[in-house]
Amino acid sequence: MRGQSLKRRSVLGFAAGFMAIAIGGEVALAADKINVGALRFTSHSASFVAFEREYFKNNNLDVTFKFFQAAQPMAVAIASGDVHVGVTAISGGLINLAKKGAIKVVGGALHEEKGIDGQMILVSKKAYDAGVTSPDKLKGRTYGITQAGSSFHYMAHKIAQKEGFPGSEIKVKPLQKVGAIIGALKSGQIDAWSIVPHIAKALSKGPAVVSIGKITDYIPDYQVTTVFTSAKNASQNRDLVKRFLAAFSKGAADFNAALVDKTAGAEEAEKMVKLIHKYVYTSRPYAKAAPSIRNGAMRINKNAALNVTNVRDQLQWFQSEGLVGKDVTIDMLVDKSFVRTY
Amino acid sequence: MPKTPTSQSKSANAETVAFRGGGFAPRPIGLVGAMVFVFLIAFWEWGSRVGWISQLVLPAPSEAFAAFQELVVSGLLWKHVSASVTRLVTGWISGTVLGLLVGLSIGLFSLARAGLVPLVSAMFPIPKIAMLPLFIIWFGIGEGSKVATILFGTFFPTIITVYGGVDNVDRNLIRMGQSFGLTWFSIVRKIIIPGALPAILSGARISASIAIILLVAAEMIGAEFGIGAYILLAGSLMATDQLIAGVALLSMLGLTVGWLIGKAEKYFLNWRA
Amino acid sequence: MDLRLEGISHNYGSLKVLEGINLAIEHGKILCVVGPSGCGKSTLLRLIGGLERPSAGQVMQIGEAPSDSLNPLTYIFQDFALLPWRTVAGNVNLVLEDQKLSRQRRKDILENVLERTKLSDFADALPRQLSGGMKQRVAIARALAVSPAVFLMDEPLSALDSQTRELLIEDLVDLWTREPFTAVYVTHNLAEAVRLGHSVAVFSRRPGQIRQVVKIGTPLADRKVTDPELIDRQDYLWRLMKDEALAADLELSDA
Repeated sequence: MRGQSLKRRSVLGFAAGFMAIAIGGEVALAADKINVGALRFTSHSASFVAFEREYFKNNNLDVTFKFFQAAQPMAVAIASGDVHVGVTAISGGLINLAKKGAIKVVGGALHEEKGIDGQMILVSKKAYDAGVTSPDKLKGRTYGITQAGSSFHYMAHKIAQKEGFPGSEIKVKPLQKVGAIIGALKSGQIDAWSIVPHIAKALSKGPAVVSIGKITDYIPDYQVTTVFTSAKNASQNRDLVKRFLAAFSKGAADFNAALVDKTAGAEEAEKMVKLIHKYVYTSRPYAKAAPSIRNGAMRINKNAALNVTNVRDQLQWFQSEGLVGKDVTIDMLVDKSFVRTY
Repeated sequence: MPKTPTSQSKSANAETVAFRGGGFAPRPIGLVGAMVFVFLIAFWEWGSRVGWISQLVLPAPSEAFAAFQELVVSGLLWKHVSASVTRLVTGWISGTVLGLLVGLSIGLFSLARAGLVPLVSAMFPIPKIAMLPLFIIWFGIGEGSKVATILFGTFFPTIITVYGGVDNVDRNLIRMGQSFGLTWFSIVRKIIIPGALPAILSGARISASIAIILLVAAEMIGAEFGIGAYILLAGSLMATDQLIAGVALLSMLGLTVGWLIGKAEKYFLNWRA
Repeated sequence: MDLRLEGISHNYGSLKVLEGINLAIEHGKILCVVGPSGCGKSTLLRLIGGLERPSAGQVMQIGEAPSDSLNPLTYIFQDFALLPWRTVAGNVNLVLEDQKLSRQRRKDILENVLERTKLSDFADALPRQLSGGMKQRVAIARALAVSPAVFLMDEPLSALDSQTRELLIEDLVDLWTREPFTAVYVTHNLAEAVRLGHSVAVFSRRPGQIRQVVKIGTPLADRKVTDPELIDRQDYLWRLMKDEALAADLELSDA
């Protein structure tokens, strides 16, 4: 008898555990303590600035950063309620989570803008010597991506589309990690790749990699990353989301002025780089980190405005590749009520 | 009143000695294993149907099965399975053959033992996944690095079981062989290898499981098809129904391999009681 | 072919196991070696057959081995040493496979030895299917197959129960009577020694030395369990050994 009740209890406990995850262990905390998901990339600077300059605090938010190695686990953490707000690229996983009613995109963050250094198209020296000197020659070539349905995959296909050949003519190679792609590109095992400017510039300085184009020529106004939160927050905790976006926008404005438009002066730029260095490239000395941080500065949307046109394009691409269901609508993915959309 | 034998015993103050020798003897009970499976899956399906297990947390078995059917209908199942099985078989066979050779040399030659055992001990615990970036450089992003991952994963455990098996061959049998003037080669071929075979085969069971575990890691690198690649893609798309279908596919692969090795044991070790 | 042991001494590290052994092994006779446990009698057997090298002294072979002998010095082991993965026939064949013999000759030898050991019907059985006595008969068949000049038997019946042992003693007597062979027969069982030995060498405890070589004149075929002369001989051997055995039993074994 005792054994039986014990068994039953553990079954119940097991189930309760499931329920907790299912409902989302997200009890509104008194002082609006929130966890913000971030990657240690320059593109996440708006959050870092808002934290360091107390814009979050001024908006009555007690923010704790949760750092992730990749976008994918961050999306899952938001769905599970462990993290409240995150900033990352739109991926197949993110869309599927949105379809399941777990998360919503509420604002824009990093985006490509003509005239500002954006993501670059790189080829290995081997491929370059073999004649791949411009993106239109990528037909039939291999292209490094992390996973099917990642932003790299999208970019590869947009290049193909604009150059007028089918996406399948670029042979994408899923290599899981950025490090692995870099290794494969340097050793000439893949022909091409596209990546954010600070990594691209550093690579193309070396002998093994050549830059042959810019992504902004292929995807103008590419909405690279977005701000997203759980669907529950977006519908029931609107005030909290708004306050986050306000603080985030203020941080973004400072960042743009200091490093993108460079209108705030050299001193402010220096300060900004120092601030960011607290979070990014922390293992490198400042003198080495600073150029990478400056190189990585891309526009973060003013007032977290969101380029829905491009997001819709991304969604359609995912659907055309069969990576997400055809039944996903833009409204399942995006809650347009928080920021200006275009 | 005639007394019954029992009452007679009672009156003589005698009792049956209590039996206390039960238990601790596992016996086969048919179908229970299958029933546990069926019950768990039914419970899981029921939980999903009534909304008790959220779709986000765990997709219903029926959804996973639908994903599996989709694989069958689209014809992709065969592509994934054949790609994976090819990698498994080439990686596992080459790892096992190399492991056999090295393990035998360690078992037979003191010099090889002195030189290689520390090396094997040092290299065995290195997670092959950690070596992936180097494997890409060494073996390329084609089949090379995938096969290499599985090869290295099976190579080291095979070495260890093989030389352990050789060490455990009855020394008296070897003395016997020498006393009858058998050649060195005959002793190795007819006494040592068959004597080590039980250990080698149980090692094969383990290394085959390791190979399946490593399949997902191996297919992280530039794989378009393969069960591991399918699972990885499902994971990155949060397509949990496909994820479960892929994992179930791996389980089935494991069951098949286990069954095959069981057959091999029955065939080769029929001399055992 | 005779064998002669000349001044054999042997030690494992600082432990002396045998000292100054001189012994003649005569053609066509069975020499039994008895002694308390740990007296080095099994070691002596390994030295005779060349599986170990003596620390001092030598084993001499006098005269040529018969030309048809494939393996002049052949062991029969206490634990039978059969390959469990080979059938009865396979185990016998094992020792013939490395010899240069025609297929027919091999087959003839196999049939002959199986017949002599009454195993013809069990040629395809695996060792695990056989009783202990049968296993030892397979080992004897295997030894016979290489027609040895000298059998080196290391407690061949010790792992068997007493009824089986009795049967096998009769088998061995039978084999010898039909075709006398030379053997060194190591045992701790005095009854076996007096049944099978033409002479019995009694060893002292460690380091093993020969205390006495006792001759037994009765022909092998005539020896019976109840024979008063044999009982007398056995008793005599026991008195020679008793004190040694008692002392050996009290020794700490950290050899």
